[in-house]
Amino acid sequence: MRLARALLFAAGLVIGGIGAAHLLEGGPRNLAAAATWLLGGIVVHDAIIAPLVIASGALGATLLPRWARAPVSSAAIVLGTVTIAAVPVLGRFGARPDNATLLDRPYGTGWLVFAGLVLMAAAVGAAVRRHREKE
Amino acid sequence: MTRRMRLMPREESFSSRLRGPAVASRVGLWLGICFVVAFVTGLYSHVSQEPAPWIALPTRPSWTYQVSQGLHVISGTAAVPLLLVKLWSVFPKLFARPPWKPRRELVLHALERASVGVLVAAAIFQLATGLANSAQWYPWHFGFRSTHYAVGWIAVGAILVHVAVKLPMIRRALGSDVDAGPDGAADTTEDLGKSTGGLSRRGLLRTTWVASALVVLGSAGSTVPFLRQISVFGVRSGDGPGGIPINRTAAAARVTETAVADDFSLAVVHGEREVRLARDQIAGMVQHSAVLPIACVEGWSASGEWTGVRVKDLVALVGAPLGAAVLVTSLQERGAYRESRLPGNFVADDDTLLALQLGGEPLSLDHGYPCRIIAPNRPGVLQTKWVSRLEVET
Repeated sequence: MRLARALLFAAGLVIGGIGAAHLLEGGPRNLAAAATWLLGGIVVHDAIIAPLVIASGALGATLLPRWARAPVSSAAIVLGTVTIAAVPVLGRFGARPDNATLLDRPYGTGWLVFAGLVLMAAAVGAAVRRHREKE
Repeated sequence: MTRRMRLMPREESFSSRLRGPAVASRVGLWLGICFVVAFVTGLYSHVSQEPAPWIALPTRPSWTYQVSQGLHVISGTAAVPLLLVKLWSVFPKLFARPPWKPRRELVLHALERASVGVLVAAAIFQLATGLANSAQWYPWHFGFRSTHYAVGWIAVGAILVHVAVKLPMIRRALGSDVDAGPDGAADTTEDLGKSTGGLSRRGLLRTTWVASALVVLGSAGSTVPFLRQISVFGVRSGDGPGGIPINRTAAAARVTETAVADDFSLAVVHGEREVRLARDQIAGMVQHSAVLPIACVEGWSASGEWTGVRVKDLVALVGAPLGAAVLVTSLQERGAYRESRLPGNFVADDDTLLALQLGGEPLSLDHGYPCRIIAPNRPGVLQTKWVSRLEVET
């Protein structure tokens, strides 16, 4: 296993080094713009998303009855991650007036239907748990 | 008892028993698979767009680029829930106190911190920029293609280093029961879940797989036809003139006047020899049809039946030798993709057409009227539209 680890480590350094060299090739202005986004991603996750998730988890644990906790956690994970992945289409930021074939779906409606289905699934799960607890 | 206000939490402040190696290693395994698939397909896309002289890409199967680029975007999209859950599962590590002594431990700790920092930054960067790009949203000042390519290498390098560092822990975690308590204690997270009503680790993992599957189903319809109806977050519905969406419109390319000009003619050039053909003359040559996909780098794709003249028949008019490459120029005056190069084996392919029609109708202006290139197994950006010149390389 020591050999495997050493090989993985060395390969990682070489491949990462190739990437760093490509990044530097783009020049200082490109590097500065990329660095903003590289660091920005960490900041947005660690300082905004993660604390929000922890706070809502703590809130849920306090407010929700036992039978609702697991279904609500699952629904929140599914809905939260899918919504984050859908931000570019939900905002239609790339839409262009001359191109009707781009971003041509009713994304808001789609999200509402999706969220409705997820919440329904969670409600069914919670109802089943509650029924079991009463027995 | 004195109480101190602490701004920063400690690693031990995080109470959830779901966090830790059992979840991190299982989600991390699939996250790693997604990143490797995206990396390999990304390399393929890169050489397709900028072929190195020593690589001759095949023209068959015609759907190779379509499938490869579809996989690229699907694996990146699937990775979003995986990355978020992975980061959640190890978040307390961010607040771990460094071992101040001995010095060697501190240096190792700092190096590992740095490598994880690179990994997290690169992973978030790749998913965020890739997703935005697939929706044609460019809210940044760096060149997307070159930077996404470079950071892809950095991400995979950082993953390999991370796996090398964590390998013993990963093997231990994957080898033991997912819900086991610390040191195999009897109070599994499943029992704990029953008493508190919260998720077990197994429940968290199942939820993560479901989220990952749903995010793929929600977007993959842009390239997988039978998912079109349910992909509510697909960047394109697949509709468009002739059943094919449009990436760059004639208006955006500023060819709305030159493309419909009465005096349009196509120049076919080989050294000193040049033939000029009006659209009617091209239409008077032997026509062929081929069903080929437009497969965009942004991940969407759609197939159509294209009709036109074989490029090899056109360049034969100026005595081009068999297997010569052809430089294709568009009417558009600016833009990175006003020119493309058809390597010799692509020129020689029977299905490489200068198309005049799509689905039995004349090309719409946005699809490249008066004529466009369509060839098998090529990225959409190289299927040059509004073609004005074919020059045989000598």
